[in-house]
Amino acid sequence: MVASSDKTITQCNGRDMTTHGGFQPVFCTIVPPHILDRLAQHEDSALAGPARRSLEHDAYQRTKRRLTTVLGAPAVAPPAGAAADQPHRTVYDARHTQDLPGRKVREEGSDPGSDASVNRAYAGLGATFELYLKAYGRHSIDGHGLPLDATVHFGEGYDNAFWNGEQMVFGDGDGEVFLDFTIPVDVIGHELTHGVTQHTANLEYFGQSGALNESVSDVFGSLIKQYTLGQTAAEADWLIGAGLLAPRVHGTALRSMKAPGTAYDDPDLGKDPQPATMEHYVRTGRDNGGVHINSGIPNHAFYLAATALGGHSWEKAGQVWYDVLTGGELKQDALFTDFATLTVKAARERFGAGNELQAVQKAWEQVGVRTL
Amino acid sequence: MRIQVRRTGGFAGIERRAEVDTSDRPDAPAWQTLAEQALADGRATPPPGVPDGFSYEITVDGRTAYAADPRLTDEQRELVSRVLKEGA
Repeated sequence: MVASSDKTITQCNGRDMTTHGGFQPVFCTIVPPHILDRLAQHEDSALAGPARRSLEHDAYQRTKRRLTTVLGAPAVAPPAGAAADQPHRTVYDARHTQDLPGRKVREEGSDPGSDASVNRAYAGLGATFELYLKAYGRHSIDGHGLPLDATVHFGEGYDNAFWNGEQMVFGDGDGEVFLDFTIPVDVIGHELTHGVTQHTANLEYFGQSGALNESVSDVFGSLIKQYTLGQTAAEADWLIGAGLLAPRVHGTALRSMKAPGTAYDDPDLGKDPQPATMEHYVRTGRDNGGVHINSGIPNHAFYLAATALGGHSWEKAGQVWYDVLTGGELKQDALFTDFATLTVKAARERFGAGNELQAVQKAWEQVGVRTL
Repeated sequence: MRIQVRRTGGFAGIERRAEVDTSDRPDAPAWQTLAEQALADGRATPPPGVPDGFSYEITVDGRTAYAADPRLTDEQRELVSRVLKEGA
């Protein structure tokens, strides 16, 4: 364990580890290791001591991150007094810095304030919690009531949103190309689903397993939007990030599960590079081996299965995908064919040899992914 | 000094790159100090990031270092945001 000292050089802007029942801040602003190495050997113990502790802390965190990658994140007990079927949300404001988590601006149960980003983040965390609980009986991201934390107004004109391993982070967008990342509820659902994946199948974020990781986030991100709007498969837009692009951009969203490759075509952004089928699978070393590109293929398979079955997509197709994600059989380095094969198995186990099984088999066949 | 930044990944998965040539700039010394520090704090190989986090490749006169959100140093953060904003 790390010595707690005000002289520790590592600046962890994460939360106090006692506040949330045992959290450790995972991501820190770290003094470069080579400088710490030098300081640790310094004759002056006032310099060497903190540097050594920081090195120990850094090594500890790195090992822990690696273990999280290898083993999945540990279960964390919900805070005392939290109702099991209620989310435990906290929204912070980074006030345009990149220091996490920032100043606390809204807590569970408090009224909406005047900041629309804060209110949207709070609502989006709630919508995500709701779908996982009501549709799949899952208690929060880790299945054990993990408090849901989000930071808004991260950085200046920051064009991104991400799950940092323990909380949500939203940028405001630059206003020219991207608007506020709290606008589309499916983006919030997408990012939080990275947390669900981290705590379950823990798909490696590279190549086909990385594209599956991305696809699972798009699938449940879209389902969270559909659930919130009460839409059927036929009514849904099947877009990811609708409303995120600034008005001058030629595009409707960032990805389309219905028609991968058609979400945008813009002089600045280029053209949506997603393939819909294996025939157009993109081999690249960039973007972690094209995780945001080839996710179009499993995305489209889900769309095909869900629309073939009709009704509320979270009930059948979503249930099958959820069973695979959380069933314990999906390998961290799974290929598309491994995932597809498990969805066929899950459809049979959950619904028997009926429409559901056929729809899932046919969907993968249509995108050119073999099921065994 | 030629400073190039390539940003990959992110929720959108859209790559951005930009370059600043400091030779004609009155503030060249400040750019050089910033670039050297950002480079010195970088990694020789791309560090593991987080899903949807940005990854950065910083190249200064042919020397390349890597970094990833959310763990940039202040200098790296300032450099990549200035190059992507002001660069061509």
